[in-house]
Amino acid sequence: MSSTPRKRLAPEAILAAVVVILLAVLVPLVVYSGAGSSLFPPTAVTTQAKGTRGLYDIVFALAIAIFVAVEGVIIWSVIRYRRRPGDNELPPQTHGNNLIEIVWTLIPTVIVLYLFAISWNTLNTVDAVSSSPDMRVHAVAAQFQWKFEYLDNNGKVIATQTEPDAAKGGGLAVPVGKNVLVTLDSPDVIHAFYVPKFLFKRDVVPGQTNRFQFTVDATEATDGHPNVFGGQCAELCGTGHRTMLFNVIAMSPGDFDTWLQALIAKNNATPPPAPSGAPAFALTAHNVAFDKTSLDVQAGQPFVIDFKNTDAGTPHDVDIRQSDKTTVVQDQPVTEGGAESTYSYNALQPGTYVFICSIHPTLMSGTLTVH
Amino acid sequence: MATHALAPATTAYRPGLYEWLTTTDHKKIGIMYVINSFLFFLIGGFFALGVRAELAQPGLQIFTDEHVYNEFFSIHATVMIFLFIIPILAGLGNYIVPLMIGAPDMAFPRVNALSFWMLPLAGLLLLSGFLTQGGAAASGWTSYPPLSEVGPTKSPGPGEDLWIVAIVLIGTSSILGGINFLVTIFKMRAPGMTLFRMPIMVWTMLVTSVLVVMATPVITSALVMLFIDRNYGGHFFDPFGGGNAVLYQNIFWFYSHPAVYVMVLPAMGIVSEVLPVFSRKPLFGYKAFIFATAGIGALGFSVWAHHMFTTGSVFLPFFSLMTFLIAVPTGVKMFNWVATIFRGKLSFSTPFIFAIGFLTMFLIGGINGAFSAAVPVDFALHDTYFVVAHLHYVLFGGSVFGVFAGLYYWFPKMSGRMLDETLGKVHFVLMFVGFNLTFFPMHMLGLQGMPRRIADYASNAGWNDWNLLASIGGFIIGISILPFIWNVFISLRNGKVAGDDPWEGNTLEWATSSPPPPYNFDRLPEIRSERPVFDARHGRLTPHDEMGPA
Repeated sequence: MSSTPRKRLAPEAILAAVVVILLAVLVPLVVYSGAGSSLFPPTAVTTQAKGTRGLYDIVFALAIAIFVAVEGVIIWSVIRYRRRPGDNELPPQTHGNNLIEIVWTLIPTVIVLYLFAISWNTLNTVDAVSSSPDMRVHAVAAQFQWKFEYLDNNGKVIATQTEPDAAKGGGLAVPVGKNVLVTLDSPDVIHAFYVPKFLFKRDVVPGQTNRFQFTVDATEATDGHPNVFGGQCAELCGTGHRTMLFNVIAMSPGDFDTWLQALIAKNNATPPPAPSGAPAFALTAHNVAFDKTSLDVQAGQPFVIDFKNTDAGTPHDVDIRQSDKTTVVQDQPVTEGGAESTYSYNALQPGTYVFICSIHPTLMSGTLTVH
Repeated sequence: MATHALAPATTAYRPGLYEWLTTTDHKKIGIMYVINSFLFFLIGGFFALGVRAELAQPGLQIFTDEHVYNEFFSIHATVMIFLFIIPILAGLGNYIVPLMIGAPDMAFPRVNALSFWMLPLAGLLLLSGFLTQGGAAASGWTSYPPLSEVGPTKSPGPGEDLWIVAIVLIGTSSILGGINFLVTIFKMRAPGMTLFRMPIMVWTMLVTSVLVVMATPVITSALVMLFIDRNYGGHFFDPFGGGNAVLYQNIFWFYSHPAVYVMVLPAMGIVSEVLPVFSRKPLFGYKAFIFATAGIGALGFSVWAHHMFTTGSVFLPFFSLMTFLIAVPTGVKMFNWVATIFRGKLSFSTPFIFAIGFLTMFLIGGINGAFSAAVPVDFALHDTYFVVAHLHYVLFGGSVFGVFAGLYYWFPKMSGRMLDETLGKVHFVLMFVGFNLTFFPMHMLGLQGMPRRIADYASNAGWNDWNLLASIGGFIIGISILPFIWNVFISLRNGKVAGDDPWEGNTLEWATSSPPPPYNFDRLPEIRSERPVFDARHGRLTPHDEMGPA
């Protein structure tokens, strides 16, 4: 301070000091109390995520310290150094100070080099891929649906999960405490595999197989008590981007084995035969469009659609919805590109509905009239 | 050409509109840049409000066709970046750089007019996408292939092609403008205006122009390749035809990361002019500031792949290190600004308040950027709303607050009238509050896992409150623009007459009349430091100078 020791402290100085001290006390207090919990990522559930969380906490602590220090000096200056009306004297014309410039170049350099070192160190854990994982999953992201294939050690598919939603009995189940190697592929555009509680995402790039590994903590599930985590595509992939949701289900290793056997059995089961005598309609999907724009069926009578998907790499289905195109009436499983399905539908009340591909609702729909 | 440029206004009288449409005067062109960019700011803001209205609560309320939602956020970002922030800063530079270095005009006045007139044309081409089959471009402002390629579920319509053509036109305008600035700054400085006496605003425009001239041709190449892919059966970015999807991202960000500095450096320049004037002190560490600016410009070319950490095809340690390092010169600037106001005598006029807004908000934009430099943390935050928060703290909290500091600061010079201080402060308070309400909650949304570019979210995801808050804030920002427009309107009619130097400025634009004559200066003060007008007023460095402002 340039003022002489005898001079009384200016009221602005007292006010400024109070405000700055309040800032320095309140910000850390709020942030580190329960009120600031939303400034931290969700609880990490994988070994890798715990490493990322530790790194986040260090970066965050430094960020708060720098924030309080710099905003503190700004607020101090703004309150303390107001120009009084009629004061035409110039303040000291300080042009700079080389020593200070060197000091405040070096300090941030040291801080960022430290941050770089610890983040590189963490990266080596988070990004590590072992050559002999406990389990392998091949995830395929297509517009706008996830598919998970369970592979044996030779990369051969042993089971396929086409329903990514746990609420519909699907999801990517994994055993806790085992490391899972995920390989990612896309037949169309770029997607991203993102599970917030994994604190992780990896792009699914067409023409390039990305891989990563994760181990869900052994404490996350016990026998009979699986744990469901939400996941979603994080890279804009078109009109259905937001609908590309999936679940990861952490299970005890015992539960997982049972679950996987059930999935294998379901894969091998032949679809139930169509009720005999039900009228059948042929419908083909080509270039993300149906070959028909309308279908007429009898009221009160079950019917069948023989569906042929000719779009290689692109899954489709044929659901029935109300004419608002959103309210689901009857749901059908997905048919992979190049495959055929026989969809059986229950009897409908007379009226106008739509038949629609739930994966491409804006491009693939038609009118279903029930007489 | 040079002699012609010295006296552009000695030609015959031309009526108003014709004069504006045909002018080669850098001041008129600068003002047209500002007005044109401001109109696009309003258009871009309209799209942003559409996005915020949709996200205010879960469920689809406005965009029953979600494709239109994708068009809205894509065109919002494209307009704000390419038709608002970059050109309004170029426009302010266009107006002020020749004045600051004591030049009568830009080096190439006709090229200058050409650079400007390409912008409204490009803007109309971009927006005309809404009138075409399939609507405007909808694959984000980044327009990553394969999504931006032709295909029934990709980008089938001509909107995407119009987007490409518009960005190429804007890029061409930028390159011409950049060359014009470089030649002007190197060849047209008044006697005594050495490089190390140039105002920081001029230095930032110099470094910005180098970035523009070096980086813009690179993105143009990516856009031309994408255009060939789409229209002539090329496979540059088609992975199933021998191309590479990530290649586009490398080329795109090789331009678009330096472009972030194109959008921020001139705003830093504005703030570096405003803070000293209203603190009545010189800028602390003038030369350190120049070296930091050059350092940001140089390092800016080595960090592009930090936008691509999650692609699985980036050499992570290198780009992480460079990204951390670029924080250092930015930090040095922040410390110098704070040291400039420290122990000054601060007058809280509107330009200064906006400059303080810049300091406090850009600081947050710098700090929350460091999170993504730590690669594992970026794996968690990339493509979530945390990144949306970060980029808006940089480009809105930084650039836009800087732009308004500049508009309030130089409006008296441009128009000869003062803006109303009360309305200016109302504008600031509304914008500051609205800005933080909108963008601070996005940190929380991102941490909790909300991805960018989604039209809807589950009502049980825990995102409802933060989204509602952000939408309320967004509309407060929208409202905050009204007092500004009203202020400009009434001040042009009835504002207090400004005089040559209403703020007791430091730099040469305050040594001429407001508005300046077409040839800028009748007489120039002696230039012996980076503050020639200060020296003339206070007589410290040039005691025998007879020229002082009126």
